[in-house]
Amino acid sequence: MLGALLRRRARTFANTIGHWTAYEWVRNAAFGSAGFGLLFGLHYGFYRLLKYLATVELIGLLLTWKLTAMLLLMTLSMVVVSSLLTALTTLFYSYDLKFLMKAPVSLRAVFLDKSLESAFFASWMIGLILVPYVAAIMRVQHLGLEFFASFLFAMPPFLLLAASFGIGFTLLLLYFFPSSRTRDVVWVFSSLSLTVTYGLVRFAQPEKLIRPDALKVVAEYLNFLQAPTAPYLPSWWLAEALRMAAEGNRQGYALRAMALWACAFLVYGLLVALAGKVYFIGYSGAQEGALRRRVHSFLLLPEQRLLGIRTAAVLLWKERTTFFRDVKHWSQILLILGLVFVYLFSIQRLPLDSAELKSLVSFLNVGTAGFVLAALGLRFTFPAISLEGRSWWVLKSAPLDVGQIMRQKLFFSAVPLLGIAATLALMTNWILEADRFTSWLSLGALLTVGFAICMMGVGFGALFPNFTVENIHQIESSVGGFVYMAACLFYVGLTIAVLAGPMQMHFAERFGTGVWNSRLALFSGAGWLALNAVAMIVPWTLGRRALEAHE
Amino acid sequence: MIRLEGLGKTFGAYTAVSDLSLEVRPGEIFGFLGPNGAGKTTTVKMMTGLLKPTSGRVLVGGRDMALDPLAAKRAMGLVPDEPFVYPKLTGAEYLRFVGELYGVALPDMKKRVPELLEMFELTPWGGELLESYSHGMRQKLVLAGILLHEPKILVLDEPMVGLDPKSGRLVKDIFLKLAERGTAIFMCTHVLEIAEKLCHRIGIMIGGKMIACGTLDELHAQSKKDGRDLESIFLSLTGGAEYSTLLRYL
Repeated sequence: MLGALLRRRARTFANTIGHWTAYEWVRNAAFGSAGFGLLFGLHYGFYRLLKYLATVELIGLLLTWKLTAMLLLMTLSMVVVSSLLTALTTLFYSYDLKFLMKAPVSLRAVFLDKSLESAFFASWMIGLILVPYVAAIMRVQHLGLEFFASFLFAMPPFLLLAASFGIGFTLLLLYFFPSSRTRDVVWVFSSLSLTVTYGLVRFAQPEKLIRPDALKVVAEYLNFLQAPTAPYLPSWWLAEALRMAAEGNRQGYALRAMALWACAFLVYGLLVALAGKVYFIGYSGAQEGALRRRVHSFLLLPEQRLLGIRTAAVLLWKERTTFFRDVKHWSQILLILGLVFVYLFSIQRLPLDSAELKSLVSFLNVGTAGFVLAALGLRFTFPAISLEGRSWWVLKSAPLDVGQIMRQKLFFSAVPLLGIAATLALMTNWILEADRFTSWLSLGALLTVGFAICMMGVGFGALFPNFTVENIHQIESSVGGFVYMAACLFYVGLTIAVLAGPMQMHFAERFGTGVWNSRLALFSGAGWLALNAVAMIVPWTLGRRALEAHE
Repeated sequence: MIRLEGLGKTFGAYTAVSDLSLEVRPGEIFGFLGPNGAGKTTTVKMMTGLLKPTSGRVLVGGRDMALDPLAAKRAMGLVPDEPFVYPKLTGAEYLRFVGELYGVALPDMKKRVPELLEMFELTPWGGELLESYSHGMRQKLVLAGILLHEPKILVLDEPMVGLDPKSGRLVKDIFLKLAERGTAIFMCTHVLEIAEKLCHRIGIMIGGKMIACGTLDELHAQSKKDGRDLESIFLSLTGGAEYSTLLRYL
């Protein structure tokens, strides 16, 4: 029976490709090439880093494998969090579940089908990022294709094990708390605990361990490098398997790879066995809507008092109401708050001695905070249009201009994102005691980056709308999501490049090694304006046209 | 009131609607029939601005949907074939939202929303989230939404699907009353009995083309069959009489 379910997926995939028009082939080929370009860029970055590490005498290889273990641990935690968010919608709210549940298909087969889908969506993009990294190890250490094949063989059980955590948690949550109200409360508390745990781990200052000067003697540092990184987690098993494959220790590799596969089969098998007992109870509970009576008073809406413009205000009110009533968003907000705190804490712990270095980091903060904002844009802004879902007809058939809808989405997204951008810029500048010029430059740049990321998010969201998705991860990990993220990273990189000129002149003036070159300053300013004009106007205009013509 | 002029829609090589021209006058209920895949929903989507026609145009109260979509949409109310609504709004909030979009004054909404909820027997559910509504309840809510802004033109795609008998009867009476008041109603339906009883004129579409249009008598004359009921006429015009041969597969 599972075979039939999986065949329908293969058939759907083949049919989708088979029905691409010439335009779609060209478009997807272009985006595919852009994707390869991005992966290649990542590969180059990893290659430079690993090449540098390899030059460190005596401990070069140790550093490489320590970094690999830490990267895999990070991948593991990202897939776990991602699967927590994906599993609920995929396992319990998919459109086709009504059909599958009433068909003579075993519950375990349905669970297998849906949980594999969930694991795939939670992990494929994060897993893909590992490919250029492993390819970089292969190049630096002159390893053959056998090493790459070893990685490809050992990676699937690793990702499946990571995704199993979120799937198992959701399965049990829905079983023990089928009532929607209790479930919501437990969901929020779980997210809160996750955020607190994340914060606690960070506040324990693990970076002390990777700084030799923080440790008393060199021997301690070497011990740290040789010590396992979370030895009970599959990330360490994979890291060890890769190390052994690189060293040509086939037996050691095979042992660890088989351990990964065996463990994945065992854990997943247990989940499937458990699903036979608990899945239906959770599914049945998920069908019950949340009954909690709300009385609507026909007073002026807060947005109407604030904005006065009737249509814009009511669209914003609808957006706010539907957003905050979805408990899944609360958990994401909690995680973001945790992320901001940890980010600022990390800035505070940076070992910076001179005022100049602090100002430089304050400027570079535009780049790192820009990446954080891009990640938030991908999560909240880019999906905003598609999340109208099958209710899109209400807006499309109403006397509304598509531009109005896009502007309201922009406004709803820009206010919190600019708040986060301002917090990151102001707090970082304050913590690092950046000089006045750097403080103003980084604040202005980060606010502009935040706004451009929002405009690009709405623009690309309108350019790639998908009103039939059932899961926010499907929107994020779509071709459009990938293009948006790539565009954001490119834009943030260019922003840093364009503003580096004035920053360099500012430092030269401080060190007394040069003066301001007004022509270069003007050139940088014009470049910055042109970059932002293109980033804001082009995706917005293309998106607006695409959404108007969307069928 | 609403006029389609040479309306056509193609999806790649497939022609969904071809050279469709018709007019629905004020106070008229026009029934639009056809087998599955005939192009009815595509026509509805083009009429309401959800799809862009490949050829021809839609005039709503004299305004071209392509040139002045906002004015055209303001005069129109749509009940789609699937009443998807925002799951995280309550019934009363959904009506408020629709009322605001169509410019209904706040005091009017305050009075009309409870009345409409009462009329469709949704008052006990007015404060509940729409995710807990059944299909029929959502269908009634969407109908309440279009009645709130009192459009001059109603476009209905299978409006009776999912309604209980009492609600079905209520909705039929509402349509007749609205037509008496001068509202033009364009209705797609598969329920021939409803079309027969409600509609002043009926159009039958097959393969994207309208093959017959007129009153029941006019359609009967076109079908050249003995039966005077709409089912016989429909089956005769659409070639459905041969359906008995299909039963051999049973």
